Amino acid sequence: MNNQNKFSRRQFLQVTGVGVGGICLLANCGNSISIWRFFSNTEAKLMDAIADQIIPPDDWPGGSESGVTNFIDKQLVGPYVRFQQDYRKGLLAIHDSCNDIYNKQFEELDWNEQTAFLEKMEAGKMHGNIWSNGFDKTFFSLCRDHAMQAYYGSSRHGGNRNNKSYQMLELDYPLIIGQNRYKS
Amino acid sequence: MNKKTLLHKSLLVLSVIILFFLIGFGSFYSYWNSAPASKTCASCHEIENSVNILAQSTHRTLTCKECHGTALSNGLHSLNEKSMMVFNHAKNENTEDIRLNEPQMLEVMNNCTRCHKIEQSKWLSGGHSAKYKDIFLNEKHNKTEQLNFDCLRCHGMFADVDIDELVEPLDIKGPWKFKDSAVANNPTIPCLACHQIHNEGSPYKSPEYSNPQDIFYKRKHSVSNVSYYNRHDKTKIMAENLPTLKLWENERQVKVSDDILMRNCIQCHAPNGKHQAGTSDDRTPRGVHEGLSCMACHDVHSNDARQSCIKCHPAISHCKLDVKTMNTSFADPKSPNNIHWVACTNCHKDAKTLKK
Repeated sequence: MNNQNKFSRRQFLQVTGVGVGGICLLANCGNSISIWRFFSNTEAKLMDAIADQIIPPDDWPGGSESGVTNFIDKQLVGPYVRFQQDYRKGLLAIHDSCNDIYNKQFEELDWNEQTAFLEKMEAGKMHGNIWSNGFDKTFFSLCRDHAMQAYYGSSRHGGNRNNKSYQMLELDYPLIIGQNRYKS
Repeated sequence: MNKKTLLHKSLLVLSVIILFFLIGFGSFYSYWNSAPASKTCASCHEIENSVNILAQSTHRTLTCKECHGTALSNGLHSLNEKSMMVFNHAKNENTEDIRLNEPQMLEVMNNCTRCHKIEQSKWLSGGHSAKYKDIFLNEKHNKTEQLNFDCLRCHGMFADVDIDELVEPLDIKGPWKFKDSAVANNPTIPCLACHQIHNEGSPYKSPEYSNPQDIFYKRKHSVSNVSYYNRHDKTKIMAENLPTLKLWENERQVKVSDDILMRNCIQCHAPNGKHQAGTSDDRTPRGVHEGLSCMACHDVHSNDARQSCIKCHPAISHCKLDVKTMNTSFADPKSPNNIHWVACTNCHKDAKTLKK
């Protein structure tokens, strides 16, 4: 056993305390079934539809299949925690606006309707208090920027599933490069 | 009540408490180690995904402890780690992307070899079983090229420390030694360097003879358990998602096999940044062997290629020579004609004479 595995009495007591407390807490975890960290299942479905509009699937995976929603969800409980309220507000606004205009949810609209809705957002032409102060434009930009980061960034951040965008761009990832600079 | 009676009673109460604790803990520990993962390990959201993937993998019949050991099989270290996970979870701290450290990875590897003894013995007989001391304390290498962080990309990719924390001094003078001598016998290319266990796949099974599509050669060949461990990202990349090598012999593009397994090999046996054939550690077949996969000649675990010629060649070649005895590096490592890219013109300088 190496030094890492040696325990002082104080550490042992700490571990025991944390362990017992933790086991008690486990009982509270059993009911959670969401696979998302920040999004609700409804929000994630909507985010998938937006992601596919921003990066439509063709011969290569679109935004949802490549994990854009997973990337945003993961970053929102990490470095992008400051955008949590924007997403909560923005996704709710899209949901409510779609209900008002089409009496449907965004993901139930046909493809062209979805595109038209997002184009209106991008142009800053949405109506209603919730979109005031240019929030429509701002939120669309936020989704687009994060979708691009997800799609073209490293898969370790939660997007770009199976490095498909790198394959599409014919980029070697990981880089194929040898280091043996001398001959024996 | 006198002091003696009080002491006796206290000892009795304490003994009963300890007994109950041991019975309770023992029962809980036994339950934990025998209950299905869905009721134990997968209770942790951070581990749930790994458990779910394992359920769809080739190793679906195994329980977590068969590879990872129990909470106490690695002393209290494992218990400490899991306790901290629960603690961080309760504090709402994100603890996903859990990775094995090197001792844990080696423990898993030991458990791989419990079942995969043949693969282990083949691996031991080949070059990929090199230990840390064989690679990082190699005087000939270290005097020629200074050790650097990128060595760990292919040798010791699971090392918990960087090269400057592993070997000293970092120069070409030496003498070199490990900062922690305990790592000297660690394998530099363990099982998990090329294999991914938590991945979708199906165990081998007998054909369903009533179904013509289930005949062995018509089944889809899966290589989902082969992957490359990318130290930079600490992620596994399935071989089928690795890039195919684009290789150039001056201006000519070399035909490279589309064998998915070979994509793993070329991550380390790679040419220089310009992808010029034969540079750095490139061994991509060219010449008479152009287009072949590494696996056409090399055994996947031992890398042995000694019996490979007979797989394709007749005993006597077109030159009326036994290919195994030709002047190539297969017969003699000092031969100028490297078996990886030997061409007819290496020996027949005037190619026209070949046609006559």
